[in-house]
Amino acid sequence: MRTDPILTSIVASRLKTIGERMGVVVERSARSPLLVEGRDFSVGIYDVDGTLVEQTEYIPVLGYATTPAMKHIAGRFAGRVAAGDVILHNDPYTGGNQLSDWRVTKPVFNAGEHVAWVVIVAHQADIGGNVPGSYNPFATDMWQEGLRITPVKLYDAGVRRDDVWDLVFGNVRLDVVADDVTAMIGACTVGERELVALLERYGIERYRTAVAGLLDAAESSARVVINGIADGVYRADWVVHDDGIDHDGRWTIRLAVTVAGDRMTFDFAGTDDQATGYINTPRAVTISAVMIAFFMVAEDELPHNDGVLRCIDVLTPEGSLVNPRFPAPTCFGNHVADQLAAVIMLALVDAVPRRVTAAWNHLLASIVSGWDERVQAPYVDILINACKGGGGATFGADGYDHIGLIGSGGAIAAQDPEMFEVVNPHLLHRFEYLPDSAGAGTWRGGLGVITELEFLDDGAQMSIFGDGDTEATTAFGILGGTSGSTNEITFTYPDGTVHRPRLKDLVSDIPRGTIYRQRAGGGGGYGHPSERPRERVHADVVNGVLSVERARELYGYEPDAPAG
Amino acid sequence: MTYLVGIDVGGTFTDFVIVDERDRSYRAHKSPSTPADPSEGLLRGLREIAELLGLALEDFLAELSLIVHGTTVTTNAVLTGRGAGTGLLTTEGFRDVLEMRRGVRSREHLYDNTYVAPPPLVPRARRLPVPERVDAAGEVRTPLDREALARAVTQLVDDGVEALAVCFMHAYANDEHERQARAVIEELAPDLFLSVSSEVLPQVRINDRVSTTVMNSYVGPVLRRYVDRLVAGLAELGFPGLLLVLQSNGGVATPELVSRLPATTVLSGPAGGPVAGLAHARERGVSDCIVVDMGGTSYDASIVKDGEVQTTREGEIDRHPISLPMTDVHTVGAGGGSIAWLDDGGLLHLGPQSAGAHPGPAAYGRGGTEPTCTDADLVLGYLDPQYFLGGRMALRPDLAREAIERRIAQPLGLDVTAAAGAMLEVITLIMAAGTKDMAFKRGFDPRELLLVSAGGAGPLHAGMIAEELDIERVVIPRMSAVLCAFGMLLADLRHDYVRSYSRPWDQLDPAHAGDLVDRMVATGMAALEQEGIAPADRSAVGSADLRYRGQHHEVSVTFDPASLSAEGLGAIEDAFHRRHEELYGFSSRGRPMDIVSLRATTLGRRPDLRLQPAAAGDPSRLPCRTPRPVYLPSTGTMETVQVYDGDLLVPGHRIVGPAVVEAATTTLFVPERFDVLVDRSGNLIMHRKGLEEHI
Repeated sequence: MRTDPILTSIVASRLKTIGERMGVVVERSARSPLLVEGRDFSVGIYDVDGTLVEQTEYIPVLGYATTPAMKHIAGRFAGRVAAGDVILHNDPYTGGNQLSDWRVTKPVFNAGEHVAWVVIVAHQADIGGNVPGSYNPFATDMWQEGLRITPVKLYDAGVRRDDVWDLVFGNVRLDVVADDVTAMIGACTVGERELVALLERYGIERYRTAVAGLLDAAESSARVVINGIADGVYRADWVVHDDGIDHDGRWTIRLAVTVAGDRMTFDFAGTDDQATGYINTPRAVTISAVMIAFFMVAEDELPHNDGVLRCIDVLTPEGSLVNPRFPAPTCFGNHVADQLAAVIMLALVDAVPRRVTAAWNHLLASIVSGWDERVQAPYVDILINACKGGGGATFGADGYDHIGLIGSGGAIAAQDPEMFEVVNPHLLHRFEYLPDSAGAGTWRGGLGVITELEFLDDGAQMSIFGDGDTEATTAFGILGGTSGSTNEITFTYPDGTVHRPRLKDLVSDIPRGTIYRQRAGGGGGYGHPSERPRERVHADVVNGVLSVERARELYGYEPDAPAG
Repeated sequence: MTYLVGIDVGGTFTDFVIVDERDRSYRAHKSPSTPADPSEGLLRGLREIAELLGLALEDFLAELSLIVHGTTVTTNAVLTGRGAGTGLLTTEGFRDVLEMRRGVRSREHLYDNTYVAPPPLVPRARRLPVPERVDAAGEVRTPLDREALARAVTQLVDDGVEALAVCFMHAYANDEHERQARAVIEELAPDLFLSVSSEVLPQVRINDRVSTTVMNSYVGPVLRRYVDRLVAGLAELGFPGLLLVLQSNGGVATPELVSRLPATTVLSGPAGGPVAGLAHARERGVSDCIVVDMGGTSYDASIVKDGEVQTTREGEIDRHPISLPMTDVHTVGAGGGSIAWLDDGGLLHLGPQSAGAHPGPAAYGRGGTEPTCTDADLVLGYLDPQYFLGGRMALRPDLAREAIERRIAQPLGLDVTAAAGAMLEVITLIMAAGTKDMAFKRGFDPRELLLVSAGGAGPLHAGMIAEELDIERVVIPRMSAVLCAFGMLLADLRHDYVRSYSRPWDQLDPAHAGDLVDRMVATGMAALEQEGIAPADRSAVGSADLRYRGQHHEVSVTFDPASLSAEGLGAIEDAFHRRHEELYGFSSRGRPMDIVSLRATTLGRRPDLRLQPAAAGDPSRLPCRTPRPVYLPSTGTMETVQVYDGDLLVPGHRIVGPAVVEAATTTLFVPERFDVLVDRSGNLIMHRKGLEEHI
């Protein structure tokens, strides 16, 4: 096929516009706070065979995690799709990444020929299973986690299959899920409409030339990035803690990154075997974590499509934590992206010291479910506000304050404090930056947050899931920088007793008046703290995010010294 | 009293439109801006106009009945961080909402760990927590600690702040504590500029409310100082007339009222354009149009629908949200100075980086070496190197060619013309996508719309954008280079109000809701009265923010304030479903709905300018210049086309495309599928060949 850089540039720009329009529909018309406020979804345009052509990721971890599923769906339904079909999927063992992340996809036709797919993947508020909102820390197989949906047609040639619809939504607790899936279908319809118009405008041959060019361009850009990294083998390991079944369990992720010319291999050989509990990480997530780290290390923006993967190999031993065997539970696996990104950054410190980031706060989060007396209805919400700790520092920039897990790239938005109270029967007592949380360094880590809230109704349940609650496991600093503060959750019951849950835990029958207190830690620092300009230390002291004592201890700061 | 003047202060130029009320004729004038004190450039421009009219400045001002002024002093204060030193008093435990920005690093920087957010308008040391708490139902949970508040105020005063903002949790639901705080502050610090969130923006979402309230205080003293100086300066020179200031919502108001809610001027820069666009749409007998403005670094698109400029409440400047109604302008980083570049994979991009005015495009010969859109325009023959800005600035085609050759043509293995043609195609696409997004957002198929093109670089690309979007008619206004200033003279007075009114739609009490709307309307009518608008020229419109239960974003539906009856509610509900379908591809009739807020807007109609048609002339002979080769996008070749002198065209002239029309302030390219007709007012109507057009 003849390449045509101009045509490719133009079609690329058009595809980007289509992806963005699809995203806007979900953001504006869905119901679940996770999608509307948190933007926990991603958009993709795929070739007929499931090759990723263009993606608009609102959450990075959902981006490349969608590609294995689309390959599966493309193969499973090859030759058996019609215009107006809608396919639904969530199964981690046919390419999915997490049972909660549902894909809705529509085939796109040109002159009667199936040529592409548009897809939305989005986190659902509930998926059945033992624990509302999923995240069942006691699960030992996937059926305890929620409804497993191998790809199924929700619409057949434009007609809704009410039997399938009722089956699916009859197996989840909340009606919000059906409304959110409706919004996802709406977004795919908008994307389909636009892509059909694009195909008509250019014709299928020119479209294919452009898509081939787009994949090649992404590949060339990736090769330029890899060529800029010195050849060698770079190793690191990092530990994941507590699988819900064994609270003291430790699973080590081992990584060897090989850079050879313009190829890069991420080999996870030697990683510990899969766990009994839900911390197993489907290969889709592992690939996605590799891509997040790669895009962060690359200086310039690259096109995000399968062309990049032509020069990157990701090796994941089967049966290991990073590529579990059926039917292991996997609901927490998405969040092991934190540890995966950390281990990749750690491995690459010597190779690209000015591009890596110190560790971001490792997620510790909670999902709440209960009954809201005010509206006489059940509710489920993830406390995104409370879990967004600080980002890691990098060469030339402090870590971003209150940004949250690295897998979100800072895109997942905390709830507005007032909306949070309008939507949930909770009263926030405190929600602000956590002083003394940032790892010290020439560039400091981002600040964490402290959240205190009171339960206004009886009987709520919280599923806790995360990591990073000890000095040794919190966000590390690099090249002389120190670690960010640790994560911590406590419940203070009305009778004054204090309960500190484990990293993966379930807290039930919470009485009204209980105070939930969470400290989301800061990010790791970069470079020696002694190199940090005094006026920047001083500014943090004046602003009350760094105490004089800690400033003295970490930076040798003296408050009465003249500024500057 | 003889003259009216519209004045638009921009970063580089201050634009003027002068109307002579005796014969209703009008003319444009441009004068360099003086960013240090914009009123200086403004007065200098007025002096120049007086000279052009053969009058002394004092005599001209004595004959001036109205000045409508659009200013970017507040915009610049925010962008340069030079607003007033401001202190924020907020609920204890929520000190950092302003700075947190919901913990979002921004979609553009998902992978960029070196991104640093713009600093908050109020640093943490000046954001002081006060014990008090109201819950989501409006119930007081913790009474306001007045002593703590007084201590905090004193601390901020001692710290030397010039302005204060108060924003407490859920104050939209119960403003008791904020009213108490106002009383304490007025007692302790009566001279400080004060903004209170329940007055500025009484609606849920503290993230938006605190940002808007702080913004109001941050720019308040700046705007007051500027307006006071301007009013005093004009008074001293004997200006007897009325001064009005353009707001971001596209309406105007007196300096006194604007100074009370100065945040409403922060995004007023582009607000005059669509007002003028509306007037042009009406002249063509339609009530919808899309107005596009291409400048040196950016391209703005805004919509007029059903005869109204469309507004939004999701404005943002430098990542500081402002949730007051403002003209909905979609800005993309594409302008004459946009730089073309190839990525590592060899794909061609234009912008968003811009060469700006310094060094500017390579062709400016000021040391710029990167190829820009203007360089491509020159290489492709659209611009005459000797007649840029009416001949005030010579361009260097050799430098433009060299930049394109080195950065684009050679690496891609193309000749310079093909490379420049590709640059043109890419930038056309970026601008067309921006235009289309705006049309879709407002429920339009862009093909249905009249395109009104403004800005120095706009008309050159308008034809290509119209081709890309299948638009049939483009208006290039006679005042296209000063469209915002022109729009200001046409703008009505406008005041917007909002009240939180959160409940299930089926529990809405029409009498109660009607009362809330009536009170907002009464406030707005009183303001118009104060501004001297006759009762017959006043009008009001209500609107309701609705959503399906559980959604987080609302859709606004307008209604006649007098119609809040059971029947009227049905119509509002219908309109909501239709609008939802239009925006998001589905509606769910029967699904429970909630109302969140009620709003009212009052408008004061200004007298019709009844502008005079352009001077008549003989349309049988066209003012030709030397034909030259230009690039035809449809064939990808350079062809010799006719060139006309735009400043000598008169009503009735018809031009057959392909052609170029050159005027002192702008250049129009007419693609081969279009023709042009000069209408009665001297505007150029570029239309698809074969369409019947009448002057």
